[in-house]
Amino acid sequence: MNRQWIDRVAPPIYAVIDFAVIMAPSIAIKQAADKGGMGDTPGTDLVIGSLLIAFVHAVIAGRRLQSEERVALRRLDLWISALNAIVVLALLATLLLVVILRGFADEHSSLANRNYPVLALWMGVQVLAVACAELTGRFVFWWLEPERHLRKSHRRSQSRSFNRRPE
Amino acid sequence: MLNRRQLLAAGLGATGAVASGAALANHVWPLLAREDLIPGDATSIDLPHRAWTTTSDQVSFVALGDNGSGGRQAIAVAERIARTYTIQPFGLVALLGDICYYGRIEDRFEDVFERPLRPLIDAGVNFELAIGNHDTAIRRTDEGLDEIAAELRLLGTPGLYYKTTHGPVGLYYLDSSVPGLSGSESPEQLQWLDDELARSTNEWKIVVLHHPPFSSGKHGSTAAAQERLVPILTHRRVDLVLSGHDHHYERTHPIDGVTYVVSGGGCKRTPVGRSAFTAVSHSVLQFLLIDVRGERLTATCIQPDGGVVDQFELRARAGE
Repeated sequence: MNRQWIDRVAPPIYAVIDFAVIMAPSIAIKQAADKGGMGDTPGTDLVIGSLLIAFVHAVIAGRRLQSEERVALRRLDLWISALNAIVVLALLATLLLVVILRGFADEHSSLANRNYPVLALWMGVQVLAVACAELTGRFVFWWLEPERHLRKSHRRSQSRSFNRRPE
Repeated sequence: MLNRRQLLAAGLGATGAVASGAALANHVWPLLAREDLIPGDATSIDLPHRAWTTTSDQVSFVALGDNGSGGRQAIAVAERIARTYTIQPFGLVALLGDICYYGRIEDRFEDVFERPLRPLIDAGVNFELAIGNHDTAIRRTDEGLDEIAAELRLLGTPGLYYKTTHGPVGLYYLDSSVPGLSGSESPEQLQWLDDELARSTNEWKIVVLHHPPFSSGKHGSTAAAQERLVPILTHRRVDLVLSGHDHHYERTHPIDGVTYVVSGGGCKRTPVGRSAFTAVSHSVLQFLLIDVRGERLTATCIQPDGGVVDQFELRARAGE
């Protein structure tokens, strides 16, 4: 496997994993509803909501990886940051939902009583999980490559001093 | 060679990946599939008030177990029960325990009971409860006793164990928790049951309790019930035993003449296998509609989309 080939293949694979991680909780609920004899419709709203978020985030995550590939000083750094991002995404996209749904069952039921859409809660939590994963990925990458920022700031200061040079 | 930051971040990432992968695959995703955590939207159905007919040789009722989530699945099952009422009205829902999950009944009564079952409550249908382990703990604590007391009060249930009569059917509700069935309070309750069954003049004797004497599900058969209760049921020629606890539907072949049914799919599902005693078993959301006409009892297990999971007939044993 040469490096170019990995550069081309890795981001889409990462995007697919990212997509699957976001979709997993809604698929679990949909399958349970189907097997339980609930008919076709129940759970579809959650699947569609997750699908929307998963699609958008898979594109964003894939592009993040591509852009990091271009600027990374060490290729390993981008894979470490990507791994951390996907772990945070996996945990929050499902665990946070379970904690919120189970821990605040009363509150959700009373909101449901008032026609508050569950889908909004579901999507809100998954968007929060996605935001945390993106922040984690970017932060870890930034933290792993301090030299890059030093070089960047050095270049900036050089260009500033060049601009200030009297004619 | 990894530098210190890479080592730390890679270590955290790898540990997190292994731990979260295992936790999600083994616990969290199955939990999501098994529980009923998504709040539901109860639809309003207007049912005709007290439209059922109960005579000395005819009665219809529903057995619903483990329905206490207040979530989408609980509401779907409750809605199907209401729709069934429009076709075949019934005056009673026998609750097989666990009517409240994820909190205390006093806080959640509206969510887990009143809202899902509102059409039936408004139609005047009666509810009778056999207490379950989520209504207390399997081994009762002071907090558990408070919970039971609240439930009995909210549902107007006369006691931990009691008998009611509906047409030709005598229903014997038992407390199957540890002190009730296999602890210090067991002899008193079992003696009461034996006496009541002995003096019963009902054509049909149906025992209702939460923990199933026979089950091929997650919790399995209840040893204490097999040891202490089953001999009485056999001796007193009980026709049918209804229970919940395991979240599936299962019917046994008659065991010494007694048919045992687990009907615990009121809002959640857990896997079920088959045992030598199993006639039918399905991991499905469901309730049981029981129609008694004279010497014939017809029971239909119905899932939320209206599909029939099982249907069986029994002949009254009193006349044998």
